[in-house]
Amino acid sequence: MLEIKNLEKVYPNGHHALKDISFSVPKGEFLVVIGLSGSGKSTMLRCINRLHDPTGGEILFNGVDSTKLKGSSLRKMRSEIGMIFQHFNLIPRKTVMANVLSGNLSRTGVLKSILGIYDPEVVERAKKYIDIVGLKGKEKNRADNLSGGQQQRVSIARALMQNPKILLADEPVASLDPATSHSVMQYLKKVNEELGVTVICNLHFLSLVRQYAHRVVALKHGKLIYDGRPLEISEEWFKTIYGEDAVEVTIN
Amino acid sequence: MQKIIKRKANKQVQIIKAFILDALSWAYIALVSYKIIYEKIIIDVRYPEFAWKQPIYSLYFGIAVSIIFFFTNFSLGKGLFGLIKIDENDSATSKPFAFLGYLLIALTFLTGFYVSQVSIKEFFSANGLEGAKRIFTALIHPNWGIFEQGLFAAIETIYMAFIATAIAIPIAFILGFFAARNLMSGNKFAFFCYSALRAVLNISRSIEPLVWAIIFSVWVGIGPFSGMLALCLHSIASLTKQYSEQIESINDGPVEAITATGAHPIQVVWFGVVPQIVLPYLSYTIYRWDINVRMATVIGLVGGGGIGNLLMQYQGQARWSEVGLLVILIAAIVWTMDWASSVIREALK
Ligand SMILES: Nc1ncnc2c1ncn2[C@@H]1O[C@H](COP(=O)(O)OP(=O)(O)OP(=O)(O)O)[C@@H](O)[C@H]1O
Ligand SMILES: [Mg+2]
Repeated sequence: MLEIKNLEKVYPNGHHALKDISFSVPKGEFLVVIGLSGSGKSTMLRCINRLHDPTGGEILFNGVDSTKLKGSSLRKMRSEIGMIFQHFNLIPRKTVMANVLSGNLSRTGVLKSILGIYDPEVVERAKKYIDIVGLKGKEKNRADNLSGGQQQRVSIARALMQNPKILLADEPVASLDPATSHSVMQYLKKVNEELGVTVICNLHFLSLVRQYAHRVVALKHGKLIYDGRPLEISEEWFKTIYGEDAVEVTIN
Repeated sequence: MQKIIKRKANKQVQIIKAFILDALSWAYIALVSYKIIYEKIIIDVRYPEFAWKQPIYSLYFGIAVSIIFFFTNFSLGKGLFGLIKIDENDSATSKPFAFLGYLLIALTFLTGFYVSQVSIKEFFSANGLEGAKRIFTALIHPNWGIFEQGLFAAIETIYMAFIATAIAIPIAFILGFFAARNLMSGNKFAFFCYSALRAVLNISRSIEPLVWAIIFSVWVGIGPFSGMLALCLHSIASLTKQYSEQIESINDGPVEAITATGAHPIQVVWFGVVPQIVLPYLSYTIYRWDINVRMATVIGLVGGGGIGNLLMQYQGQARWSEVGLLVILIAAIVWTMDWASSVIREALK
């Protein structure tokens, strides 16, 4: 489904953030990316949907090299990849419904979307996803008045609106409390298992990693240093990934 | 290694800047001392002559003096550009180089008083006080007979300001996106458009609406239309600047999120940028209307129509009671606009 080959990213300021990264993700997998702050996790995710442009290597998405795409074919590719952010990034002052509908923009004409005209079946679909993330009845609430966990669920519904083949999640629970974190992770799991969406998720907490990941890759200083099952991460690997002095913290 | 070279080059630039500042300061001191203290105060020349050799000699003098002082702590430039070490707990204002700064400020004040012909004697002369009394008595006995005429002109002014603002809004709204650095730094062409637009805006903003009104009153004739055009042009330039600054300060998150859904760039702007800027935009726009009403009264003075025009006519005929009434009307308009705009802007928060 997704194949990353020798991916390189050098930022304009000269920082070499990703060095020769290669791995592939089969359909339906729940892949978790771990690594210290600054190891390049966000950069890698953003290269996949081209919020950042890679400076080398290939990213094959369904057999097509997405690093070469431009204009409308780039937008088409992006529309098949949903993204969830640490700070939710919802549209301020808009309702839950409007935010979820914005996930469908790539399939709505420019003029139609500006005039706010949506087909009834699109609105139906939005309602269905709002229901799936457990926010039924909140359609008309302003999204920025919801709690953090609820906002993150709105953003999951927005991503689902795209009918994504892959869902990228960049530290989706890093600004939430432990209980809410689990609930949001449960929804991601549900999306992965019930809707069959491949998930690539950056996480900081190993306890969450063990619970949700099918497979783990670890980055360190922009290099891929681990690729395997979550339960196989031994004490030794843990020290390699996070440094000698690291102590594991758990959240329940 | 490269960094060290860079820092050295940087220091050289600072030294040159410091020296130029010193030389200009001393040249200014020399010129002002000669023109004001020597010519005006000491020998009291009635019509002092200006010759280009005066500033040029002062510049030579300035360069000479600053060469001497540049190696001491009296160098203002070195102080300001951080080339003199100052203890953190010590204040810079008590250092020797600050002395030159004080001298500059004192001389500038002195010159200011002389150039504006400040004279306490005239302010309190019997003749002057008599005139003031006459004008104030007339002003507090306004002629209500011209109330209708004044009100009509005032309404003209308010509508003129309104239509100037209204025409400026959509134009500035669109230009605002093109003048926002964060939206326009994508490629070279976009950045060129951004820079060109910024330059044009800065130039048109630096020309006062009063001057525009004079230009337009020659172009389209004296009257409200020329005043309206002047206000409109100024509003476009100011609003575009304020709008684009607002766009530059938005949160990138929603923009990224909408981009990531595969939306068209226009949709990204409409859904990612616009919701973040509507409220500040409204607030700026109402404030601009408020400013335009005030400016419209002033612009009337140079033939831009409205109440200012009327004021100018009565002032020319020295009919102070009529002027008094117009002053009351203007105060009422300004006060009302001020109040209304602050109430609306408060409600928008
Ligand atoms: N726009 C940018 N320009 C230059 N350097 C950048 C930019 N964005 C990120 N970097 C650098 O690239 C490196 C990787 O950043 P990245 O955000 O991918 O790390 P991360 O693993 O996501 O960290 P965190 O866990 O803190 O989110 C960091 O050293 C960062 O300073
Ligand atoms: Mg990150």
